[in-house]
Amino acid sequence: MKPSVLVVDDEPIVRKSCRLVLEAAGWQVLEAGSAAGALALLTSATPRLLLVDLKMPFEDGTRLIGRLREMGIRTPAVLMSGYSTEDTARDAERLGALAFLGKPFTPDELTDTIQRVLNRIEKEEDGHGQSKDPGHR
Amino acid sequence: MLYSTRSKLIAGFMAVTLLVGAASLFIGVRLVDEHVFGEALNRVSQDLNAANEMYLTRVKHVKTSLSITTLGFAFISSVRERNTVDLALRLERMSKLAELDFAGVVDPRGDVICRIGPNAFPPPGRRPANPLTQMVLEQRVSVSGTVILPKDVLVEENHELAERARILLASGPESPSNAREEVTAGMTIAAAVPIFEGSSFVGVLYGGILLNRGEAFVDTVRDTVFQGESFGGKSIGTATLFLNDVRIATNVLTPEGKRALGTRVSPRVEEHVLGKGRRWTDRAFVFSDWYITAYSPIETISGRRAGMLYVGVVEEKYADIRRQLLTVYSLLTVAVMLAASALGWVIASRISSPIHRLIQASRQVSEGNLTPDIGPTEKGEIGLLQNTFKEMVAFVGRRHADSEARIMQSQRQASVGRLAAGVAHEINNPLTGVLTYTHMLLRRSELAEDVRGDLQVIAEATERVRKIVKGLLDFSRQTKIDPEPTDINRLAASATTLIENQALMKGVAIRLNPGENLPELIVDRSQIQGVLINMVINALDATPPGGTIRVFTASGYTGQPSGRKGVEITIADTGSGIAPENLDRIFDPFFTTKAVGQGTGLGLAVSLGIVQRHGGHIRVQSEPGKGTRFFIWLPAKDAS
Repeated sequence: MKPSVLVVDDEPIVRKSCRLVLEAAGWQVLEAGSAAGALALLTSATPRLLLVDLKMPFEDGTRLIGRLREMGIRTPAVLMSGYSTEDTARDAERLGALAFLGKPFTPDELTDTIQRVLNRIEKEEDGHGQSKDPGHR
Repeated sequence: MLYSTRSKLIAGFMAVTLLVGAASLFIGVRLVDEHVFGEALNRVSQDLNAANEMYLTRVKHVKTSLSITTLGFAFISSVRERNTVDLALRLERMSKLAELDFAGVVDPRGDVICRIGPNAFPPPGRRPANPLTQMVLEQRVSVSGTVILPKDVLVEENHELAERARILLASGPESPSNAREEVTAGMTIAAAVPIFEGSSFVGVLYGGILLNRGEAFVDTVRDTVFQGESFGGKSIGTATLFLNDVRIATNVLTPEGKRALGTRVSPRVEEHVLGKGRRWTDRAFVFSDWYITAYSPIETISGRRAGMLYVGVVEEKYADIRRQLLTVYSLLTVAVMLAASALGWVIASRISSPIHRLIQASRQVSEGNLTPDIGPTEKGEIGLLQNTFKEMVAFVGRRHADSEARIMQSQRQASVGRLAAGVAHEINNPLTGVLTYTHMLLRRSELAEDVRGDLQVIAEATERVRKIVKGLLDFSRQTKIDPEPTDINRLAASATTLIENQALMKGVAIRLNPGENLPELIVDRSQIQGVLINMVINALDATPPGGTIRVFTASGYTGQPSGRKGVEITIADTGSGIAPENLDRIFDPFFTTKAVGQGTGLGLAVSLGIVQRHGGHIRVQSEPGKGTRFFIWLPAKDAS
């Protein structure tokens, strides 16, 4: 089974764009239109990565990540936002994400960012002597 | 505060006036006392001289009348022949003409031949000796003057005269001693002249005027000397004849309005005049009024001081002058005080009304009216105050306009920032779709070349949109400054170095003139460097090939009077300049004169935002066709 990515964004066009790019890159894509939707989905699914929009109605991306960490779900997350500046990118880690992706992005930028994050996770897991990642693409 | 100034001024004036008034009043009273009263004493003294003169004239008159009579042959022969009938007629006539009260002729032995009055022909025998005839009989020369005739002599002469001479002494506070109850002697103005026929002595003619109760003399003195001057319905002057210390003829009136006969003079005066024979001139209380008085002694023909002549002027008249003077002075003082108060009021108003207007104006200024009416400009310190106030208001106005412009600028920036942030967020989502789908399409290998070309256009256009939105977001973000001590010259040098190649390619020279001894600045290096780069690039874009860009740094102060210390960085180009109508707008976000796609119009707005966050400001001077100068001022470390 292909590794999956959960895209959480209130904008259908963003979810659709991500699905297009990521499926072409060999990922299985899960979608949620809100933080609540993401939480519901995560009770059954265990994606390899979360791609979370920073600004969403009701509950934003950082709060979602916070809730997941509280629940013990440590799935790595990438924050994305149309409200991107250098500062927010710098703050991504503080917000609980491993990377930041400013909207709009090209397909290459999306896949590059995800690749970079996964490489980093693998490196850390290697360092901790944990089981190898099943792989991607 | 104003009213207190006014009242202080008025009080000051009043005090001065009061002081001056009181002083002049005091001096005035002293002057009146010294001069007017002294003048009065002088005058009374002169009046007494006149009265004395009149007295002597009377004496002379009596003597002359008698002397002329003794020269007549008929009279002499009548004496010699003892023609008593003829003599009686002649004596009668003479007495009437000369207004004599008594007259008579005695023979060389002293016996009376004839006299006027009831006892005209006394029988021969011992008679009381007439002191008047006695002297002439002994010395055979004529005598004249004041003669005191004792009671018996008067009775012998004429019992009516004796009766007239009798004056009851008044009892009262002024006559403490009642030893004598009445005056019986007669005080007379009399003369006696020897009668000669050839060289033989044939007799003595005597005659005189009884002064006791004689109103004629004193009234004449009063009327002549004081010439009917009156005060309060009474004659101001009085005259009196004293026999010793008793008034025997006077026009001094008792409180009951009768002539004050029989009253005595005060012991002090008596002692001075009768005792020492001196004149007396001073104030004296006579009955109910104060008088300015003068007394002189009267001596009899035998040289004894037997009486006094007195004149006096009611002091009331002079007291009245004094009172009038006092009143005039007081009124004058009050008038001057009123005038001073009015003057004080006017002056205080003149001082306080411009100040009051200034207070009103200050109030108006504090309520936002920067063109208050402070009235006409005064002279002197008030004028200075007004001008200073005007300058202050003008300065406040400039500052106000300045800060208003600044506030508007930041409001514009803030609202644009919020707008930009919102727009960016909204646009970026669909833009993600556009970018994704365009690029995914471009990945397909089976695309026709023309379709691929069109897709490329879409991708590039989208890329531009993405850049614009990024710029918007950069502009809108209020990045915190990360300040550290900075050498501004080094910063400027690194900024110019970065652009030097670009400038060389265009054929524009960049010159850096670093200033010396600049104060240390604490700034966010990367942000300020960004500002400098942005400004130099702007200058480069505006400068045609062959032009020059010069960058100066210098110690500088703000243009404001507070004069905060700092550094001014000047970027001057020889470019196209900025049209005057655009000068106000160049810091507005999205304002640009560059060709479409060449600039976002956010560079200067972002630069200004950064400089302002450092506490500085940017000014611009420009002349179209000649070039533009931007002045970036940043505060020194110890200034902010």
